[in-house]
Amino acid sequence: MKKKNQTPDLKRRAFMEKILKGTIAGSVFLVIPAGPLICKIPEQIKGIRGNKYEMTSKKFAFIVDITSCIGCGSCCVADKREYNVPDHNYRTWVERYIKDYDDKVYVDSPNGALDGYHGPRKDIKKPIRDTFFVPKLCNMCKEPSCVQVCPVGATFKTPDGFVLIDKKHCVGCGYCIQACPYSARFLNPETNSADKCTWCYHRVRKGLVPACVNACPTGARQFGDLNDKNSNVFKKLNGPGVISVLKKEMGNQPALYYQGLRREVI
Amino acid sequence: MQSSYNVHIKRIVLILFIILVVGLIAKQVLTPDSFGIYGHYRADAIHDEVNREIRHMTNASCEPCHEYESENLATGFHKKLSCEFCHAPNADHAKNGKKIAVMSVTEKKNINALCLRCHNDSLWARPEKIIKTVRMPEHLKDQEVRLNNVCSQCHYVHAPLKYINRPEKAKKMQETSL
Repeated sequence: MKKKNQTPDLKRRAFMEKILKGTIAGSVFLVIPAGPLICKIPEQIKGIRGNKYEMTSKKFAFIVDITSCIGCGSCCVADKREYNVPDHNYRTWVERYIKDYDDKVYVDSPNGALDGYHGPRKDIKKPIRDTFFVPKLCNMCKEPSCVQVCPVGATFKTPDGFVLIDKKHCVGCGYCIQACPYSARFLNPETNSADKCTWCYHRVRKGLVPACVNACPTGARQFGDLNDKNSNVFKKLNGPGVISVLKKEMGNQPALYYQGLRREVI
Repeated sequence: MQSSYNVHIKRIVLILFIILVVGLIAKQVLTPDSFGIYGHYRADAIHDEVNREIRHMTNASCEPCHEYESENLATGFHKKLSCEFCHAPNADHAKNGKKIAVMSVTEKKNINALCLRCHNDSLWARPEKIIKTVRMPEHLKDQEVRLNNVCSQCHYVHAPLKYINRPEKAKKMQETSL
C-alpha cells in the first residue's frame, strides 16, 4: 500500500532548526513542543507545524452544522476520553430538541449524550413535528464574561483567541461558572478548579483538529483558521446558508458558529 | 511639644515606608514570573495547556500497523469514522510507536448498541442524505435472518457494504451448480 504524506528528511531538519532557534530566542511559548510521533501524523490544520507560531496571525473558528448532526454522541465520548473528564461533568454535550404541533419545545440531554440516544422520548403524548440535535461546547467569546469576572486572573483569553483556565492559579470560587451565558463551565471535582472545553488547544497547536471534530462521523463539527482562505470554515462562513451564533444579544461575540440554527435553540 | 509632634510624623512615615517595602517584596516574590506578559494572567499557563498529553491521534496514526483495516475503512462507507471512537484512544494502546496494551474490540453482544448509536431509525433528525438508518428488528425480518443476529454477522464493520452481496452470490452459485 502507498504510504501517504511522508515528510522528507530535509523538511524535518529545517523544522528542528527553527524550533531550536525559537527556543534560544526565548520565545518558549511560541514553539511547538511536538514529539516525534506527532510529526509523523499528517497535519490536519495547515500551516501550524514547521513555522514559528505567530499567536496573532491565526483566527480560529468552530462551526457546528445542526442540519447534519445525528446525535450519535461520538464527540462526547472522544472528549471524555481525551481529558478523562470526571463523571457527570461535560466539556461538550449534545442536546435534543423536540417540537410538537403546538410549538412546544422539549429539550433533553441524558448523560450529556455520552451513551447516545437510543430511542424517541416516551413521555411526550402529543404528535411530534420535528426533532434535531444541537451540540454545545465553549463558545470562545471575543468578549468573554468569564474572564471579566475572574478575581485572580486564572482564566484568560490567549492572543490567538482561546479562552483557557490556569488550573494552578484558580481558587475555585465559581464566579466564571455563573457568568458564562452558555453554561460551558463546571467545577472539576478532581482538581477543584473551574474547567471547560478548550477547543483542544494542545492538539490545535500541534496541527491536529480538536478530538470531537476528529471523531464526528458526519462532519457536523468543523474547525479551522479564518485567515486561511482555503480552510473549510472560511468557505462555510462566506458561503450561502443560515449561520448564526448563540445568544447574540449578550454581546459576547462567540467564535463558535451554528449552521442551520433554529430560533428554538437557546 | 514641637519635637514630639515631629516624632509622630516620622513614625507614621517610617511605618508606611516599611509597609510599602514589605508589600513590594511580597508582590515580587508571590507574583509568578510570567504573569503579565500577554495580559493579566500567567503566560506559562498557555505553555502548560500546550503540553497536555494528546490521547486521540488520527486514523493516519493507526495505518502503519493496521494496513488492512485502514484500507478497508478508507474505501468503504465508514471512511469518515474515527478508529478511536469504536476502539479506544491511541494513548491507551501505543506509546512512541510501540504497543503497550491490547486495544478494546466491541463484543458481539454490544455491537448492535454501538451500530444503533448512529443508524437507529426510531430517532428522527437523521436525514437519508447524511446517514442510512434501519429500524430494528424490522430490518432483520426484511432480510429474512434470525432475530438474534448481530449487525457484524452480515456487515463487515470496517466496510459495511463490501461483502454484503456474498451470501446471495454463494446462493446463486449453489443453484447453478445443482
